[in-house]
Amino acid sequence: MTRSLLRPGVLLLAGVLLVAGCSAGSTASPGAAPGSPDAPLRIGLTAEPANLDFTRTDGAAIPEALLVNVYEGLVQLDQGTGEIEPALAESWTVSPDGLVYDFTLREGVTFSNGEAFTADDVKFSIERVRSDAWTVSLKSGMGVVSGVEVVSPTHARVTLSQPSNSWLHRMTTRIGAMFDPSGVDDLANTPVGTGPYTVSEFRRGDALVLARRDDYWGEKPAIARVDLQYFDDATAAVNALLTDGIDVIGTGAGPRGARAVRGDPRFQVIEGTTNGEVTLAMNNAAGPTSDPRVRRAIAMAIDHEAVLNTAWAGRGTLIDTMVPPTDPWYQPLPDVTPYDPAAARALLAEAGTPAPSLRMRIANLPYAVASAQVVQSQLREVGIDAQIEPLEFPARWLEDVFRNADYDLSIVSHVEPRDIRTFGDPSYYWRYDNPEVQRLLADSEAGTQEQQITDLQQVGRLIAEDAAADWLFLLPNLIVADTDVQGLPQNRIGESLDLTALSRG
Amino acid sequence: MTRTPAALVVGGAIVGIVVAAALLSFVWTPYDAVQVDPGTRLAPPGFAHWLGTDTFGRDVVSQLLVGARTTLFVGVVAVGLAGVVGTPIGILAAMGPPWLGELVMRTNDLVLAFPALLLAIMFGAVYGPSTLTAMVAIGIATVPSFARLARGGALQVLATEYVLAARSAGRPRTAIAVRHVLPNIAGLLLVQASVSFAIAVLAEAALSFLGFGTRPPTPSWGRMLQEAQQFLYLKPELALWPGLAIAIAVLGFNLLGDGLRDRFDPRLADRR
Amino acid sequence: MVLQLVRRTAVFAVSLVVASVVAFAFMSVLPGDPARVALGVNATEEAVAATRAAFGTDRPLVVQYLDWVGGLPVGDFGRSYVTAVDIGPQIVDRLLVTTWLVLSGMAVALVVAVPLGVLAAMRHRSAGGTVISAFSQVGVAVPSFLAGILLVTVFAVRLGWLPSGGWVPPAQDPVEFLRRLVLPALALGLVQGAVLTRYIRSAVLDVLREDYLRTARSKGLTPGRALVRHGLRNAAIPVVTVLGLQLATLLVGAVVVERVFVIPGLGSLLLDGVANRDLLLVQGVVIVIVLAVLVVNFLVDVAYTVLDPRLRRAT
Repeated sequence: MTRSLLRPGVLLLAGVLLVAGCSAGSTASPGAAPGSPDAPLRIGLTAEPANLDFTRTDGAAIPEALLVNVYEGLVQLDQGTGEIEPALAESWTVSPDGLVYDFTLREGVTFSNGEAFTADDVKFSIERVRSDAWTVSLKSGMGVVSGVEVVSPTHARVTLSQPSNSWLHRMTTRIGAMFDPSGVDDLANTPVGTGPYTVSEFRRGDALVLARRDDYWGEKPAIARVDLQYFDDATAAVNALLTDGIDVIGTGAGPRGARAVRGDPRFQVIEGTTNGEVTLAMNNAAGPTSDPRVRRAIAMAIDHEAVLNTAWAGRGTLIDTMVPPTDPWYQPLPDVTPYDPAAARALLAEAGTPAPSLRMRIANLPYAVASAQVVQSQLREVGIDAQIEPLEFPARWLEDVFRNADYDLSIVSHVEPRDIRTFGDPSYYWRYDNPEVQRLLADSEAGTQEQQITDLQQVGRLIAEDAAADWLFLLPNLIVADTDVQGLPQNRIGESLDLTALSRG
Repeated sequence: MTRTPAALVVGGAIVGIVVAAALLSFVWTPYDAVQVDPGTRLAPPGFAHWLGTDTFGRDVVSQLLVGARTTLFVGVVAVGLAGVVGTPIGILAAMGPPWLGELVMRTNDLVLAFPALLLAIMFGAVYGPSTLTAMVAIGIATVPSFARLARGGALQVLATEYVLAARSAGRPRTAIAVRHVLPNIAGLLLVQASVSFAIAVLAEAALSFLGFGTRPPTPSWGRMLQEAQQFLYLKPELALWPGLAIAIAVLGFNLLGDGLRDRFDPRLADRR
Repeated sequence: MVLQLVRRTAVFAVSLVVASVVAFAFMSVLPGDPARVALGVNATEEAVAATRAAFGTDRPLVVQYLDWVGGLPVGDFGRSYVTAVDIGPQIVDRLLVTTWLVLSGMAVALVVAVPLGVLAAMRHRSAGGTVISAFSQVGVAVPSFLAGILLVTVFAVRLGWLPSGGWVPPAQDPVEFLRRLVLPALALGLVQGAVLTRYIRSAVLDVLREDYLRTARSKGLTPGRALVRHGLRNAAIPVVTVLGLQLATLLVGAVVVERVFVIPGLGSLLLDGVANRDLLLVQGVVIVIVLAVLVVNFLVDVAYTVLDPRLRRAT
């Protein structure tokens, strides 16, 4: 009896061993052995794009995969210094009044559909952003352009309606991507750009496969094929890395990912900063938080260091306003709303709402859910009752919080570069309407660079003093990768995960 | 017979412990179950925290206790809803005209085609995930088992001689239902309630694990498990405790159901 | 019996229609206009109206329903508002993955449950039977996602024998496919196996008590032989029923297990659809799952009607 009792179990175990054993020598990725030049580099990411069309679908996932890699702009950001550098434009000049930009285009550039890239495409692409074809909110960045002129096939002239210090920087984001008129029919599935990679396959729910172009105009990347594999959570991605299912965790490794491989010589951890301000948004127009005293009380009730330590294992940077340290107008403002529960309670009493009840409608993302629980607990200490309600991100959060501003508190990470400008838009979901801030933001567009820095520092201070929002921390750039992968970006300051510098060796 | 009263005793004891834990959590927990304490993150089990603390520095024992409350709450509401709705429907189906019985049974089959988890995800998509949507979805999905059981039991009772006599004597139908049918099928319903409770506990855990159940920070075993999953390679025991709690609770209710069935199921009793 | 089958088929057809109405109605009450969601924050009213017309969401609900349901028989589930991809092929792809998962889970369950269940029944008075029963009780109480987490911890993270998740189609690399299938199949199958063990045990117990088996044994057959010769087929009827019902449980269990193992199946498609508010997609997945359950129930019904002599006589 004992024998027959054991048999199924033994068989089962044998089966496991058999299948496990079979593969001991085999490779995790079919086709080529890892390390061979043809092996794909498998990069794990979180947040799979819903489709590949960033002209009509919001969210960071699409430009993360496609910008720089598949699409290129006239200019791009240097990932190290944050400086604007030439891309499809070899060089450019700006008229003294700051209104006319003359771009000299690179020659011999082709789109992945074989069409040549010329000044006509520049005109087409910029005007397309301004048309109804583009629907994402970032398109407003092109609003300052009044006209595009094709001077010659390699010379495009862009005229602005007013001077803008930020326009060229915005041209490094997705709205600056160059399209071919014959390549925009099915952007959701078939992107056509000038970049070094093309999308060779998009297996939804699994991976986006990028293949190197042989006819790329510039220096060809070292990696012939990159598989961007999408995971629902950090755990699955880390497990995949540990079991050689992927080579790199590009985003979403989180502090746990970094800790999981600590001391393991097979892996390296790269840590830097991002643009991702994890922001506690407060409704400035409705509910108890429309009172600045309540907002200040909330900001002072939160021990930001404890939030960072608890929710994100201390990885990340504390910031006091909507500016990451990589922006020129970064400034620490430690004294504006210091952690002071007693003062918070006093402010609440002064506002006549000693125990407000608030709806904290957050994105259901790991950092937000984790931070929310710490914030909720700290707010309780000063008498604020915050009810956490995770909303599916993106759809439901976008609908309820972002579009309808139906919230008191919310937590989401704002990853767009230089998004301090959102505080100048009263219809943005902060619902923050401060004429002084709006004036400073407008001024910052026109003056010198020094003037721009002074103005934006002033804005940063004003919104912190008003507690227009509270900034919990800046997400770290945490990349965990096999030791032999080189060229991974230290900081993530643009919209894209730049794959062009990667190599193995 | 084969199933000793041991099932009843052990099952009852486990359920008793879970209930006691839930009740205890109302008056006492070692620590505040939702209070975040950055100073004691991921503390190992020890004298201060018997089972350690989680990533937020929250005491695991306290969370398990309050989690029992969440679990029982979901179970009671879901199973209660199913029983209160399903039982009358089943009795009605048995006592009413044949077409009604047929309609009820076919509707039952249809509802059964929407599994609890699927319903809860649909509910969550529409109304936002919460304990309430989870409870209602699980409840609705459980209605058919009660209706079916009540109908079957009622049909048996209605066929007995004394009920036939009562009916021919012109006793009102409601009186028959309340006086004769309900008491006779109560035992079966209790068995079903216990088994359904086990299923509800599992469903709540799965939903919370997927993020479609109880909202943070309210402790829930399923969500504890989901949070612990992120620390699997650092502190696997964090996943162990809520996992054990779920398994033990389900085991308890299943055993209790088995034990009760041995006592109440006439078919089994005959065989004895 | 023919009449019975016709009736069951009619009921099945009506159920299908009602289920499709329910699935459609449910998703139609979702808050949020798909056109607005697709266009983002700064969309003009004209653009929204145009997109609504393009999606067809400006038509009356009844028309939308008929349009949707009319496409289902030919596998046309519509085109997603969010991803601009035809939903039908996507569902087929994912269903294939989930089917592998469910079938392999079922296989594991059978491999575990048939011998254990029979053994437990035959030795139900001995310690061995009690041990098996106890184990199956415990197994039933372990949710499949918990089993999955434990399996990943042991076999993937600690021992490193198997990948922790992901999916490779069998045509692409059969070995890799199997390696990735093992843990999720075990997670699903072991738990279902425990459930099944209990059913098989009681079904076999029932059969063991039947007169013909006693007769067979009195003729000198060992209990095992008697069971194999005469009993198993009879025990199989209730077990087949349970297997049918379990397919539904497995399908749902797969939703969660897919989450644990990062498998691009129907479950993750559903959850992604919910997160992206891809209502047509959610609707499509829901109807496919419900359809699968209804079809299995129907087949079990038919099998029952055809196989069970008692039922045959009854009508």
